[in-house]
Amino acid sequence: MIAVLGLVVGVVAGLLVQPEVPAAVVPYLPIAVVAALDAVFGGLRAMLDGIFDDKVFVVSFLSNVVVAALIVFLGDELGVGSQLSTGVVVVLGIRIFSNAAAIRRHVFRA
Amino acid sequence: MSLLTNVMDHSLDDGYAEAAARKRTDGAGGMPRTVGAKLVLAAGLVLAALVVTVGAVQARVAAPVVAKEREELIDRIDRETDAADTLEGTVDKLRDDVSTRQREALEHSGGGKRTDLVGILAGAVEVHGPGVKLVVDDAKEATSGVGNGPRETAGFSDTGRVRDRDMQRVVNGLWASGAEAVSINGQRLTALSAIRAAGQAILVDNKPLVPPYTVLAVGDGKNLSTRFQDSADGLYLNALQENYGIRTAISVVDDVRLPAAPSVIVRTAQPRTEKDAS
Repeated sequence: MIAVLGLVVGVVAGLLVQPEVPAAVVPYLPIAVVAALDAVFGGLRAMLDGIFDDKVFVVSFLSNVVVAALIVFLGDELGVGSQLSTGVVVVLGIRIFSNAAAIRRHVFRA
Repeated sequence: MSLLTNVMDHSLDDGYAEAAARKRTDGAGGMPRTVGAKLVLAAGLVLAALVVTVGAVQARVAAPVVAKEREELIDRIDRETDAADTLEGTVDKLRDDVSTRQREALEHSGGGKRTDLVGILAGAVEVHGPGVKLVVDDAKEATSGVGNGPRETAGFSDTGRVRDRDMQRVVNGLWASGAEAVSINGQRLTALSAIRAAGQAILVDNKPLVPPYTVLAVGDGKNLSTRFQDSADGLYLNALQENYGIRTAISVVDDVRLPAAPSVIVRTAQPRTEKDAS
C-alpha cells in the first residue's frame, strides 16, 4: 500500500512541481528515464517471480540511473556521446523488452 | 552474438536472485514485510516515478519552445520582408517623382524627344513594346542539390548549368542584334549592369537570380529573334543546348514590359551654374 502511495506521490510531485531541470543535467535525462524504466520493469518482474527485494530494487534503480548518466557524460567528454547513448539505450531497451515479455508470460500465461 | 545473448539472458538484475537465495536460507522472501522495508521501497518508487514524469514533462515543454522559436523567426522574416517591400515602394515613388521633375526640367531647357530616347537606352524609364522572350534553364540532369534555390545547387563545375558567362554572351548578343532594352528575370539591364557569378548563383547587379532565366528584350520582334539566332552568340547558345542539354526557348512577343532599372546614377554630369550659362 505504501509502495503504491509512493508511486502516486512521485507522479503527482513530478506533475505539480514541474521542477526546473538544470541545463547541465538535461542531456542525461532521457537516458535516466530509460534506466529508471529498466529498473521498474526489473522490479515488477522480480515481484511476479516472487523474488522481489526492496533493497535490490532501490539500489539497482539508483545505480542504473547514475551509471547510465555517467556513461553518457563520459561519452560526451570523449566526443562519442551519441554512440554511447545508443549503446546504453540498446542494452536497456533489450532488457526492458525481455522483462516486459517475462511479465507478460506471468500475467497472461502465454 | 554472445553479448546480445548475455543481455537477453540476464535481463533481470542478478541481485534479485542472490537476495532471494539469501532470504531462502533465512526463511523469509517475497514482498517486504517490515514498515521500514516498505518505506524504502516507497522511496524508491517515488524516485522512479519522479524521474519518468520529469522526463516526460521536459519532453513536452521542450517541443513547444522549439516551435515557438521557429514561429518567432518566421514572424521576424515576414516583418522584415514587409519593411523591405515598403521601402522599395518608397524608392519607386521617389524615383517616379524624380523622373517627372527631370522631364519637366528638360522640357524647360528644350530636351523633348531626345531625352526620352536617352532615358529608354539608359534604362531609367519603364518601356514596353514588341520584342522577344528568351528562356534559358539548366539542363534537366544538372544536379540541383537539396533544394531549388540557387544557393543550394551543386556548383558550376557541372556542365549542365547555365553560367554567368553564358548569360553575358546571351545579353550581349541581344544588344548586338538590335535590342533596345533588356531585362533578366524582371531586372532591367543598363550599360553599367554586371552579370557575374558569386558562389553558386548568377548575380545581376548584385541580386541573385533563380533559374529559369527569363530574358526579355524590346526590339524589332521577328527581326531581332532571327538576327540573334544567326549571330555568334545565338549559335553559342544553340551549341550549349546541343552539347550540354541546357534548355532554351526563344519566342517573339507582341508586347513586353520592362521595369526601370533600380539605380541610375548621374556620374559625370554637373549641375549648370548661372556663371557657366551662356
